[in-house]
Amino acid sequence: MRPARALIPLVAALALLSIAAPAVAQSTTRVRLDNGLLVLIRENPVAPVVAVSLMIDSGTRWERPENSGISNFVTAVMVKGTTKRSGGEMAEAVAALGGKLSATGDVDYSEIQSSALARFWRELLDLTAEMALSPALLPVEVDNERELLLSRVQKRRDSPNSRAFDELYATLYGRHPYALPILGTPESLKRIDHAAIVERYRAYYRPGRMKLAISGQVKAADVLVEVRRLFGGLSPGTPATDAALPAPVAATHRVVVEQPAQQAQILVAGLAPRIADPDFAAVKVLTTVLGGGMAGRLFAELRDKQALAYTASAFFDPVRDPGALIVYLGTAPDNADRAEQALRKEIERVRSEPAGAEELQRAKGYLLGNYEMDRRTNGRQAWYLAFYEIESVGQDYPDRYRRAVEAVTPDAVLRAARAYLTTVTTVVLRPK
Amino acid sequence: MIARLALAATLGLLLAGCAAVERGASPEATAGLPRPTREVLPNGVVLIAQEQWASTVVALQLWMRVGGRDEGPGEVGLSHYLEHMLFKGTPTRPPGSIDRLIEGFGGRSNAFTSFDYTHYDLVLPAAHLRPGVELLADIAVNASFNQADMDAERKVVLEEMRLTEDNAENYMSRRQYEVSYTPHPYGRSLLGPPETIRTLTRETLSRYYKKMYVPRHMTLVVVGAVTVAQARAAALATFGRLPNVPASRPDVSVLQPLAQKRTDDARRPEEQAFLGLAWRTAPVNEGDVYAVDLLTYILGDSPSSRLNQTVRERDRLVFSIDDNYSAWEKAGLVTIIARLAPANLDRAEASILGVIRGVREGGVTETERRRAIVTAEASYAFDIETAEGLAKAYGQAETTWTLDNEIAYLARLRETTAAEIQAAARKYFGDDNYVRVRFVPQAGAR
Repeated sequence: MRPARALIPLVAALALLSIAAPAVAQSTTRVRLDNGLLVLIRENPVAPVVAVSLMIDSGTRWERPENSGISNFVTAVMVKGTTKRSGGEMAEAVAALGGKLSATGDVDYSEIQSSALARFWRELLDLTAEMALSPALLPVEVDNERELLLSRVQKRRDSPNSRAFDELYATLYGRHPYALPILGTPESLKRIDHAAIVERYRAYYRPGRMKLAISGQVKAADVLVEVRRLFGGLSPGTPATDAALPAPVAATHRVVVEQPAQQAQILVAGLAPRIADPDFAAVKVLTTVLGGGMAGRLFAELRDKQALAYTASAFFDPVRDPGALIVYLGTAPDNADRAEQALRKEIERVRSEPAGAEELQRAKGYLLGNYEMDRRTNGRQAWYLAFYEIESVGQDYPDRYRRAVEAVTPDAVLRAARAYLTTVTTVVLRPK
Repeated sequence: MIARLALAATLGLLLAGCAAVERGASPEATAGLPRPTREVLPNGVVLIAQEQWASTVVALQLWMRVGGRDEGPGEVGLSHYLEHMLFKGTPTRPPGSIDRLIEGFGGRSNAFTSFDYTHYDLVLPAAHLRPGVELLADIAVNASFNQADMDAERKVVLEEMRLTEDNAENYMSRRQYEVSYTPHPYGRSLLGPPETIRTLTRETLSRYYKKMYVPRHMTLVVVGAVTVAQARAAALATFGRLPNVPASRPDVSVLQPLAQKRTDDARRPEEQAFLGLAWRTAPVNEGDVYAVDLLTYILGDSPSSRLNQTVRERDRLVFSIDDNYSAWEKAGLVTIIARLAPANLDRAEASILGVIRGVREGGVTETERRRAIVTAEASYAFDIETAEGLAKAYGQAETTWTLDNEIAYLARLRETTAAEIQAAARKYFGDDNYVRVRFVPQAGAR
């Protein structure tokens, strides 16, 4: 077998051109109901399944330290029953469809997600609407869920990896609500009572704040009729207004946490662009050059060559307010100091010299290839449809993003590294 | 986030597959698992190919009939170590070039080690079928194991051992297997003892590789936007040219249910406790798998399951509870894992046993049986949404049982009666033949 290395730039370029169109026709319908609810339906004949994502403008970014975790708390109580049936009956009804129905909070939204065999799409939509529009929100369930949420907060604290990430967000974002944990804190959870849950639900679960996406083996016209029947009568109400948020300020911090663990965790992060920022694509490519995949610099250098870390990668998730470019290592305690130095060297390198053409091509191929692959299942497609509305970037975002990534130059990556990896926050979790 | 981790004990019986059409279902609900083309090449390599035009990618998976159970004295951990080394390089592929090649295509790679098999997975834009198959055939027999890579990977694997211990649920799963199966090979750590890894030489690894990585142990699965003819041509030109050599796997005994209870307690840094119960049940080739699989769904698969409704919702003894059934070639294990307050450990165990006793004595309802079947059908439908999901179902079936069994799976589930489910509960799930592992917080932790 001949070495394939020399072929990389050529075939990678071809790959970029060839991933756009799936072989099976899929189409998306986008409709806004009179009450403000946005509906997105994607017909996808591939598998006999259907997935629903209902996203609500309610998340950490609308929270304060006093009520931290309330968005997620509301979702936890919602799944415990509606005005028509108990949580157990709800669970049985969903299971009878071969389905799943759950709800969670996130930083920019709360999501009710459900899925089932496609032949049950009507029943699934019905149950999803029932949970979103007529949850029982019983006082006893608020108390029960608080106890479970407190146990999950404890579990996150016990996990070295989660603990390190939570410390990082808290330090990096300062007074901006992205500093707050999605689950909340023990103090805030104890303070949030039944009245607060009900009030929050009423203010935020309004049609103007909701995006409903459906993807699967369905007919858009039929689904739309059912959606109008279920959601059309909902009154617009007076939705909560969005206050301006304090901008996070980049500053140099170093936080060391000690806790029982086998592995040391090292995180270095800079404040980075929001999803709608023109620099977004360049930072995505930068993140991938540094720590995307197994040919990313961190994995190739720190793990494969130097064996200084077991886990080595970089993250940069799309969010509405400033994002976080996070470089992450998990390593043996004995290696922690050397690994951190090696990590800083990689950051310095990406800030001082441009990435090579081949390296950039690898990063773009990896980034766009993964992006396409991630959008193949109905669950993910429903998520993306709703998410791009939550972020107000439009349904043509995938195409614009793809073109923006392809246009990123070595110079743009260098500029991005200098702009977003100069003032950084470091968190080190050391086993004790 | 973490690539190439050993899949120690998390593989459930995801095999569920079928093309059976439910009577009265509408045409759009009948898309099922297609029967792939299966061909045995003259040198013993099995080729499984299936066209799937749902997207523009192709999944390429090399399934090896090599796993933790095949390791002899001094070899424990080598199957997994090989998995780490194969993507490192061959004489014609310098270190790092394989990852750059795959990722430059816009593809991904991954690999998994288990008791019965090891598999190497690629997902690539379909245009790269040929270089992808060439790569798999190359690493299957020509891996270099250069000394620098060996030494670097040694540290990575030792680190992986530590990492397993940091996550309580993963570690619980591993302990359940160790306690349930010892001294059978399924009871050994897939990662091996640290000492073996620390002192491992290229010669020892090469010897194991040459002995086990032979055509008769190989299955190549190709699923995606390529024709069967293209897949076949690529396989014949690469895997088809490997020399035919004899192959053998060590004999491993089939495990029966335990005669008595086994217990193990460990102190852990977490402030919460974990309770794991496990019962040895049917291996994958036994007729009981269908009843045990349905029973597992009914007991603990979803929020509506008996364990969730009783132990979590009614008795409020646990924060979370799940079960899982792993059917291997020589043994099966149903595991239950709960996260809970330390003070509730005894009562939660009693409550779980009560739920199981309820099935033994009172059986399951027709509603529960139907719900379990439709859940299995859905879980299968979602698994095959992607080319790699379908390829995995084929590869696992070919390696640990048969494609025919796989394709008939859902039909067999549908034929399974409530009486058979109760009989399986009576046969395998006793009050005194299970394994109990508990993690309790260290005294005065934090």
